[in-house]
Amino acid sequence: MPGLTEEERKKILNGRPIGTWVLMLTVGVSMVIGWLFLYYGVFIPRGIVN
Amino acid sequence: MHIDPLEKKWGQIVLVICAFFVGIILFEALFHSVNAPSNVETIDSTKLHLSKEFAEDKLGVSRDDKGNIVVRMVAGRYSFFPKEIEVPAETKLTFRWVSMDVLHGVHIPMTNMSTMVVPGFVAEVETSFPTPGDYPVLCNEYCGLGHDQMWSRIKVVEKEKWLAQHSASKGGNKND
Repeated sequence: MPGLTEEERKKILNGRPIGTWVLMLTVGVSMVIGWLFLYYGVFIPRGIVN
Repeated sequence: MHIDPLEKKWGQIVLVICAFFVGIILFEALFHSVNAPSNVETIDSTKLHLSKEFAEDKLGVSRDDKGNIVVRMVAGRYSFFPKEIEVPAETKLTFRWVSMDVLHGVHIPMTNMSTMVVPGFVAEVETSFPTPGDYPVLCNEYCGLGHDQMWSRIKVVEKEKWLAQHSASKGGNKND
């Protein structure tokens, strides 16, 4: 990590990975919403099959 | 074995999401009967025309005294018979499909009606069509050179209209 002081570097490495958490949450929530939409919004309204 | 804590967390989240999806599928299967069709019934595909159920005059839509509607269809290269049927919307329909020759598939776009029709077996599927309209019935298993021209049509009409048109003994064939 060029251009960073030793203090800044330590702060980044020891800090919480908020960006990663936001990314994980976004992907996870999007997937759940998408799945629920396909199941309850498309599949079930087309007529239950058994 | 060392696993990065973030990677471990992500793995746990994925597992929770998968368990959530499986839970919903199980709930719907147990409490709302959303299951994969699992009927196993054999039939002699070479003698369909002589069978009590799939002789030519027995095909199409029929309704018994209890109001159960059964649709009997035969798939053969290269069409589904009868070529056109009429069924009520928002009504439980029991489809019974058989093949007179090779492996066929049934797919009705924009509905959940989809099954393979294996020679020697009766494919039974219960479903309903919530929305009235004309639906094509397509073969989705390659069955020969005419496969892409293998289709028929299902006309879904309002339940009240269909019931008014058909008495208990009559079916919904276009030829009735």
